[in-house]
Amino acid sequence: MAPRSLWNGTVTFGLVNVPIKLYTATESQSVSFHEVHARDGARIEHRRICAKEDREVPYEEVVKGYEISEGKYVVLEDDEVKAAAGDRGKVVALDEFVDASAVDPVFHARTYYAGAGDAPEAYRLLHEALRRSGKAGIGRFTFHDREYLVALRAHDDVLALHTLRFADEVVDPSDLEIDAPGRKPARKEVEMARKLIDSLHEDFDPAAYADTYRDAVLDLIRRKAQGEDIDLDAQEEPEHGDDLAAALEASLGS
Amino acid sequence: MPRTLWSGSLSFGLVNVPVQLVSAVRDLDYHFRQLHEKDKAPIEQRRYCAEEDVEVTWEEVAHSYDLDGKQVVVTDEELASVQPRKTRTIDIEGFVDLADVDPIFFDHPYFLVPAGESEGTRRAYRLLVEAMGSTDRAALGRFVMRTKEYLALVRARDGALSLTTLRFADEVRPTKPVPSGGRKKPAKAQVDRAVAVIEELSTDWDPGRYEDCYRERLRRVIEDKRKRRKIEAPEPTRQPAPAEDLMEALERTLEEVRSG
Repeated sequence: MAPRSLWNGTVTFGLVNVPIKLYTATESQSVSFHEVHARDGARIEHRRICAKEDREVPYEEVVKGYEISEGKYVVLEDDEVKAAAGDRGKVVALDEFVDASAVDPVFHARTYYAGAGDAPEAYRLLHEALRRSGKAGIGRFTFHDREYLVALRAHDDVLALHTLRFADEVVDPSDLEIDAPGRKPARKEVEMARKLIDSLHEDFDPAAYADTYRDAVLDLIRRKAQGEDIDLDAQEEPEHGDDLAAALEASLGS
Repeated sequence: MPRTLWSGSLSFGLVNVPVQLVSAVRDLDYHFRQLHEKDKAPIEQRRYCAEEDVEVTWEEVAHSYDLDGKQVVVTDEELASVQPRKTRTIDIEGFVDLADVDPIFFDHPYFLVPAGESEGTRRAYRLLVEAMGSTDRAALGRFVMRTKEYLALVRARDGALSLTTLRFADEVRPTKPVPSGGRKKPAKAQVDRAVAVIEELSTDWDPGRYEDCYRERLRRVIEDKRKRRKIEAPEPTRQPAPAEDLMEALERTLEEVRSG
């Protein structure tokens, strides 16, 4: 059965319109807990309390406030916040295309799958043209009353829609104030490090990495359920090597 | 300088570089507070025990997991005891071609900066930047931050080491259930035209050219409201219909983009 789509709309490039349906592409598998009261194991409820009246407030009486100065708010209705979404048409116009590989990982925020809508022929065409050219189409997309910059590219047999961060949201490395060392690393050291990189080269195989912490937490839960006592041992720290060249040499030799 | 989120060491073979992790992104969004409409007082979220109907402090809260219908309660200390060994290190396990890592795996971007003023640390950091900067390869490593283990990609970027956390393979959904429009291949002539349109509309990736219009509009909405001006939402655009004749649409587009 096909999963439920999150959003239906149209991608356009030039005069070609491609209806698409959006689907979730990623989901966290972290072990999630809910909060309980340690004393009696009862569920914890989060309640909205008015700070002035010290009593619970129903959701209907809650408004959004933007703080312009200490304790002073501009109050906005939901419809007013929604007005900022701009043109809420369900169209992603691809105004330009860039090399898909040129978009640095730092700009990638979320990924969705864009599946075929009512015009499968146009969809296959866009997919094939993006795949063959290695390009990503850049456009804007409004989702849940917020506009995003997106890149659309071919991924396997479908299209992937990546929301992108804006340049001013990304920290520039020069803001980090990283001090250069007094003495640069010797050429020999750089070469040894490069050799080490080469010797550890492998194909990227995401399936080779499991979330071992997640497994350990699930195991802990099972042991706890069986009434086992949990050993609370401390962890050890690694040593810091001082002699760079000797450490590199030893690494290569190992 | 952004706030330090984690500190430890980056371990490369037998070389250990003390590093601090800082976010590579900054939050420029406008954030709202929940207020009580009547008196404009801030709303506070407080924890209550559902059974006793009394307020509960954070120290009295435990974590519960539903194991096949059975509620299992674990404490922070117990969770900490199962963290993998050497939690203060990012162990580099191998190097991969950056181009082989599909962007779908990218989670959150960070920078690693050298920790402390020592000359040894700065030199070791510089060494990794230089050695990695001269290849298209990125290091794969793992580390634990707060209560989660991360798989991370470390590479040199403009004189710094950037770290991007990756999603685990089982956190990326298969594409198979997503409708792909059937197996029928598009005609070569159509693909040629579509690629030609894409080439005509191609440009270099220059992130500085794109502005967050949403943020700017939200700023104006707040400003208008403050000055008691009326706020109007624009009309949504009409949904365009798919072209009857794909080839004709491609030809006309190509003519338009070529004539500028």
